[in-house]
Amino acid sequence: MERLGKQYADAFYENLVRGVTSVSPDILGMMEKAIAREEAPAAKGMLETLIKNATLAKERKKGVCQSPGIPCIYVRVGREMAGIDVVKITGKAIVQATQEGYLRPSIVHPLTRKNTGNNSGPGIPNFEIELEPELEYLETIVSFKGCGPEMFNAFKTFSPESLGKTLEGFKRFVLEKVIDAGGKPCPPIGLGIGIGGQMDGAAKLSRRAISTRRWDDRNPDPEMDRMEQELLAKINQLGIGPGGVGGKTTALAVKIGMAYTHTAICPVAVNFHCWVGRRAGFKFYKDGKVEEIL
Amino acid sequence: MNTAIHLSTPLAEEAMRKLRVNDVVTLSGTVYTARDMAHLKLREMQEKGERLPENFGGSVVFHAGPVARKTDKTYSILAIGPTTSIRMEPHSDFVGGRLGVKAIVGKGGLGDGSLKAFQQYGMVYLLAAPGCGVLHAEAVKAVQRVHWLEEMGMPEAIWVLEVSNWGPLIVGMDSHGDSIFHKIREEGLKKLEALVKG
Repeated sequence: MERLGKQYADAFYENLVRGVTSVSPDILGMMEKAIAREEAPAAKGMLETLIKNATLAKERKKGVCQSPGIPCIYVRVGREMAGIDVVKITGKAIVQATQEGYLRPSIVHPLTRKNTGNNSGPGIPNFEIELEPELEYLETIVSFKGCGPEMFNAFKTFSPESLGKTLEGFKRFVLEKVIDAGGKPCPPIGLGIGIGGQMDGAAKLSRRAISTRRWDDRNPDPEMDRMEQELLAKINQLGIGPGGVGGKTTALAVKIGMAYTHTAICPVAVNFHCWVGRRAGFKFYKDGKVEEIL
Repeated sequence: MNTAIHLSTPLAEEAMRKLRVNDVVTLSGTVYTARDMAHLKLREMQEKGERLPENFGGSVVFHAGPVARKTDKTYSILAIGPTTSIRMEPHSDFVGGRLGVKAIVGKGGLGDGSLKAFQQYGMVYLLAAPGCGVLHAEAVKAVQRVHWLEEMGMPEAIWVLEVSNWGPLIVGMDSHGDSIFHKIREEGLKKLEALVKG
């Protein structure tokens, strides 16, 4: 298990560096297509600048954005690989990547605001670990979630009445939050929406949806898929545009995570993601094989 | 995009008053980074009558915190880019009126109070492409000094940077009461009800 742990640590570090020095290809592809849809020179120019920066960062193996946000790690693990100390290994890797200049030390005590200097601290990285006993590999997705966008995240518990007959209460809430956020969360954004569960559940679903799904995928649930497409189209009529300069490309994706909830309530969380989709995912097998998945 | 207007520090109020929203500028000279903590500390020092670490008259404040690496004598900037400016909204009157800053560079824009301050003091808000850590770092030619690094940490310190031909930066708010951010927001709100019902 010790040798396997070392192999996993190497694989994680390599993926972490890939994650922070590039923008996910699905997102970049969508941005390239968006250039053709934009008419305003400022919007076109902004998209071209963003893509140029992402290309340069990858070539030079430098952080795409100076702010690493909060590192979030999503793990699925089976019985056989549960001996690998993922929490310790990934935490150490983030400290190392900070020392090597890939990540700015940005983590502070929430009240005293004292910076720890190396992106460590209680609750950092933010883990979601799922145990699936029969899984024969260890799946890890590391996502660097920028905190400009985090400022505009919102939560509301709807009643059956306030949801609205045609869900207009829900839709108004989402669109209002996007208008309020404007150019501040680094558009073109990805918007995660968590629906159902309780407050914490909806919030987690919203972050997970936009952080771990490919932005060009489709929701397998037809009802949720329809809502994702409808909201995306409506958000892109708001005119905020790339970088907030105006235009048709305000959001590249809307992703919904859903859980069932109680008959009295409908919790809804909205989670903003900047265009800098810095993330990497891989499956790690017990023979040391590494398979990139994101 | 419009042809870029080149600006050099120190910036004169008259030149700032000529700028209009959507103008594109490039910038050379000295730029001071300042985020939440630096603004709070500068205000506190000023209120106590203490001497500020720099003379900000005619200067450019950049809402940003870099990734910096220590070299033999100074620092090199590995990545730098704008942070979300709206957090600094409460400070615009201080920044313009007390410090004499003439341009603020950031992302996402500022609010009503700032727009008023910009009219009063002849200032502009310049939008820098968000999430572009490598591109903006290319314009930084040298780190002249850094203040409060130990105390505040790398992002919140004041980094005094020498930049050359930095841009394109877009005038997002001008000294005539115009703001692309305010305008876009108003237009979005007008469409809201039709989108909700549709």
